[in-house]
Amino acid sequence: MVDIVVLIKQMPDLEQVKPDPTTGEPQLKNVPLKLENLSENSVEEAVRLKEKYGGKVTAVIFGNEQSSAIMKKAYAMGADEGYIITGFKGNNPSLTAKVLGEKIKALKHDIVILGNQSADSISGLLGGKIASYLGIPLLGNANSIEVDGSTVKVKRALEENNQVIQANFPVVVSVTQEINEPRLPPVMQIMQAGRKPINTEAATITGREVRIISNKAPKSERKKIIFEDVDKGIAEVAKVLKEEMR
Amino acid sequence: MYVFSIIVLIGLLAAAGLFLFTIVKLLWNAVKIPEKKPGLKLQLGRRIYLVIRNVFLQAKLFKDLGGGIMHALMFWGFIAFAAYSSDFLLSAIFPGFHLISGTLERVAFFTVDIFAMVVLLDVIHAVIRRWGIKIKRYQGYNGFEAWFILSLIAILMTTYFILAVLRLDHISQNIPGSIGESLVPMNTPISYALASVLPKISVSAGYYVYWTAFWIHALDFMIFLAYIPTSKHLHLFAAPFNVLFAKEDQAILKPIDFEKETRFGATDVRDFNWKDYFDFYACTECGRCTANCPANLTGKTLSPRDIIWDIRETLMAQGNEYRTKGGDRDQIFKTVIGDPIKEEDLWSCTTCMACVEQCPVMIDHVSKIVDMRRSLVLNQGKAPREVIDLTRNIEQYGSPYAIDPSTRADWAEGLDVVDLTKTPDAQYDVLYWVGCVASFDKRNQEVAKSIVKILKKADVKFAILGSKEKCTGDPARRTGNEYLADMMIKENVETLKANRVQKVITGCAHCFNSLKNEYKDFGIELEVHHHTEYINKLISDKKLNVKSIDSDTLEKYTYHDPCYVGRYNKTYEEPRDVVKTFALNYEEMEMNKSKALCCGAGGGRLWMEEKEGTMISHKRIEQADNVGASTVVTACPYCMTMLDDARKTTGREEKMKIQDVSELIASRIE
Repeated sequence: MVDIVVLIKQMPDLEQVKPDPTTGEPQLKNVPLKLENLSENSVEEAVRLKEKYGGKVTAVIFGNEQSSAIMKKAYAMGADEGYIITGFKGNNPSLTAKVLGEKIKALKHDIVILGNQSADSISGLLGGKIASYLGIPLLGNANSIEVDGSTVKVKRALEENNQVIQANFPVVVSVTQEINEPRLPPVMQIMQAGRKPINTEAATITGREVRIISNKAPKSERKKIIFEDVDKGIAEVAKVLKEEMR
Repeated sequence: MYVFSIIVLIGLLAAAGLFLFTIVKLLWNAVKIPEKKPGLKLQLGRRIYLVIRNVFLQAKLFKDLGGGIMHALMFWGFIAFAAYSSDFLLSAIFPGFHLISGTLERVAFFTVDIFAMVVLLDVIHAVIRRWGIKIKRYQGYNGFEAWFILSLIAILMTTYFILAVLRLDHISQNIPGSIGESLVPMNTPISYALASVLPKISVSAGYYVYWTAFWIHALDFMIFLAYIPTSKHLHLFAAPFNVLFAKEDQAILKPIDFEKETRFGATDVRDFNWKDYFDFYACTECGRCTANCPANLTGKTLSPRDIIWDIRETLMAQGNEYRTKGGDRDQIFKTVIGDPIKEEDLWSCTTCMACVEQCPVMIDHVSKIVDMRRSLVLNQGKAPREVIDLTRNIEQYGSPYAIDPSTRADWAEGLDVVDLTKTPDAQYDVLYWVGCVASFDKRNQEVAKSIVKILKKADVKFAILGSKEKCTGDPARRTGNEYLADMMIKENVETLKANRVQKVITGCAHCFNSLKNEYKDFGIELEVHHHTEYINKLISDKKLNVKSIDSDTLEKYTYHDPCYVGRYNKTYEEPRDVVKTFALNYEEMEMNKSKALCCGAGGGRLWMEEKEGTMISHKRIEQADNVGASTVVTACPYCMTMLDDARKTTGREEKMKIQDVSELIASRIE
């Protein structure tokens, strides 16, 4: 039996974010939120571990009023219980870790699973921060997780070597995209997920936040060179590229 | 009554009893096992028409001419002989009794006499087809059954002739108890000819010959009767009923009521309805479906015949167990997916409907395959990786592409098209439903632009839905995700209603079929036209003036039928009529119209990799090359994508173009 807390991040669908033509700032208004990719892998892994070893999967989203659709998706995939923590809009991994850490403390947690970094802020700090806040080990960048009794064994692919590390319950495990292929939930589960209650709690912690001063799409001036004389071939293209690189 | 009369009577009753016993078992299966209903409509007129056309006239059989002739002669002969043999046995049981007499009898005898020879020759024809020239689709299937039944037929015919010759030679008249009325030579010309060439025998020898032939004939009939329902020849009984019960819209998918139903799709034999059971019973393993299946033709293991036959075998075995032992249905009715039906085979199907089109007994293979896909996707979330990605995209972006939906109408920029997203109150007569592929795929955007040009030239007041248009749900539906399809369709129906849409034209064969045939189950009746149909009408109404261009004398055209325009909606001529307004050199490919080979993209396959065997699209492009086509005309964005790709990857980029009907017209109206 393994009790798992899985942390879910919601983020705007980047495919649908467009920079404002004048300011270059991303226009986030009306952009639908989605279950962040690595969070989907995290839920999948949590559910797979539950299916293999038994236990319970509790999902926690650090979110807002719009998060229930995402929680339903996690339910459909197999999460048993869910909490949405609202009221904190700040951007500071330390505070996020504190808010989530407090919640995790209140839940049974043999393993806390989360993505190793989110696709929007890409700080990669949260796993470490939460582990340190809870005072438990972090098994980072896992591409497979095995449980033996109360030992969690994790495989991680590093740049030059494959490492296997392990620690006893409770642990934080951050996962990579390679760990699994998220499932397509069966319809019965999707329908049951719609009826399952979602717990919403307001965060009580406030603090300093990291403020985004500017977030602009890099300007790229295209030269629009067209090579019409095909016979000159790649040599001509290479020549132009070389000149441009100087 | 003679002793032999009593023996014949007992034998006949036993054979009929065996026949009925098996039929009752099969009907019991069809009543007791299914948990779903077919929802058939009465439509008496249509059903009578179907039985006359497809049973008595054997119309669908002639789609394969050689096999059709072989079968039709056998069938008509069978009818004639069923009458003759019944009369023969009745008069054996009740000497002197005949079902018919006078002129009618003479006509019947004449018919039977001719057919006896025709059928005998036809048996030889059948033997040559199966064992001589070894027609591929027969090989490996029921050789024994075919041999056995052909022998029975040949023996029945031979003994008929022996008995008739004895009557013509006035020998049987001297045998007590024999059916010995004289025959008129002109009523039995073949037997008479035989009698004239065969050596005459004595009455005493005739006695033995008569009774031997008599008993063989009677026994043959009885064996035949008892054997039919236990073999593939069950189709003699099941096929006429299957044609009678046939659905009007084969291969058209039906919605699932997610609020009420609990078993989604087809997992085991309980999930097929009684009409499906008739499909299984009617299958003769003739293999026309498989011989025309694009997947099978390109080396994939999918065989529609095996799908149907495997379910039938499973049904027979599990039905038998349930009938004799009863007990827990969940224990007895185990899934048919995985074993015997391979999951890969279900995913190889392009839903092209070639199997359904070819099946002489009107089996609907496609909806069963999709139902099994539904079972995998809806109950287990199981599907190939690409299908899961496809599903995610449709869910997230409302189209199979992971592209921002707000850019859906970007292709129309600068074309001055009424976009109902931007001007919701605009007035228009016709909605141009663009479809996802033509909206987002570069090559197919050219088709959308051509359609716009044509509509404008013909002064059609039209509009597009812009980013309010969503995937029709067809790719999700055909890949088994009815839940997602259901959401997409309902959303689109709301949009269509909110925009007061009544008349639609579309350039996508798949959108066309969905909007035309499947949206009505979701509460909207639309007048839907495929663009080829609409353009053809514009030309014949003189709203468009198609001019020939210089290259027309050099180009060689052929037309590739999109399955969802052709087989699904029987639109074969309109696109050809349009092409023939300008094409000077036109030639049909080897497989065309109802026999057209699929491009390989239907059933969600456009978004899946084709790993097994060779590419269907390559085979199709070869067929186009075989007629020397320099331009392959098509009328569907899926076909366009597949064929355009095949043209490039098979090194035909220089000599061949793929063009949509609309593109060819758009370049000829100025």
